[in-house]
Amino acid sequence: MEYDSIEREIYVDASPEIVFEVVSRPEHLREWWPDDADLDPVPGGTGELRWGEHGGDPMVVPMTVVEADSPRKFSFRWAYPLGAEPVRTNSFLVTFELTPAGGGTTVRMTEVGFREQGWEVAVLEAAYLDHAAGWDRFIPQLAAYAPRVVATP
Amino acid sequence: MSATSVDDELWSAIGDPTRRRMLDILLADGPGTSTTLSGQLPITRQAVAKHLVVLDAVGLVHGTSVGRERHFEVDRAQLAKAAAQLEAVGAQWDARLGRIKRIAESIQRQRNA
Repeated sequence: MEYDSIEREIYVDASPEIVFEVVSRPEHLREWWPDDADLDPVPGGTGELRWGEHGGDPMVVPMTVVEADSPRKFSFRWAYPLGAEPVRTNSFLVTFELTPAGGGTTVRMTEVGFREQGWEVAVLEAAYLDHAAGWDRFIPQLAAYAPRVVATP
Repeated sequence: MSATSVDDELWSAIGDPTRRRMLDILLADGPGTSTTLSGQLPITRQAVAKHLVVLDAVGLVHGTSVGRERHFEVDRAQLAKAAAQLEAVGAQWDARLGRIKRIAESIQRQRNA
């Protein structure tokens, strides 16, 4: 197990082309992540994630696209200081890998950069302790959640 | 983003691979001394002792004097404090991926219709 990353996999009953649009285009991004988003979803394209439009403290977080290989792979760096160049040591790298599977798409998401940010103890803990603090807690939650999502009209 | 509030010294202490290995051993085997730890690591007892000082300073281990030795054990509450941060990050991604799934499947159904 890597001690510096978050990894998730989920099956989506939609084509890789559609999933690619959802993870990369700002009009979809703002539906699943921030309150608002701008993004030019091409390699090197930059954008902003914005929160606080429904009350709460306003927050603006920059992002830069690393890879945009439709419909297979989309990756970006985010959470570096505003105005800075995104590099390994000041940002998180999020990668979506899309694989056709059973008429839909398997989405594999990884987020790395915790080692550089000094967070890896948290994964260390998850790996060693067998109580509810680890990944095991969320996999069943996700499995319980997915059928409800599918059943929603 | 909330994880930026985590105690930086705590992360720094755990960032060293040797110290992580030491915590690994202490979690697996229970309390240990610099002597028992150095027997399981490719470093000297003195080097282990220095790492224990760092871990102790941030509360990741606690030492108890037993005769002429100090026995160290992992502070699980302090480890859990760190773990809670990444747990929160993971939970956020679970929620985001659930929304990605819902949106993509909705679009697919519209295009099929």
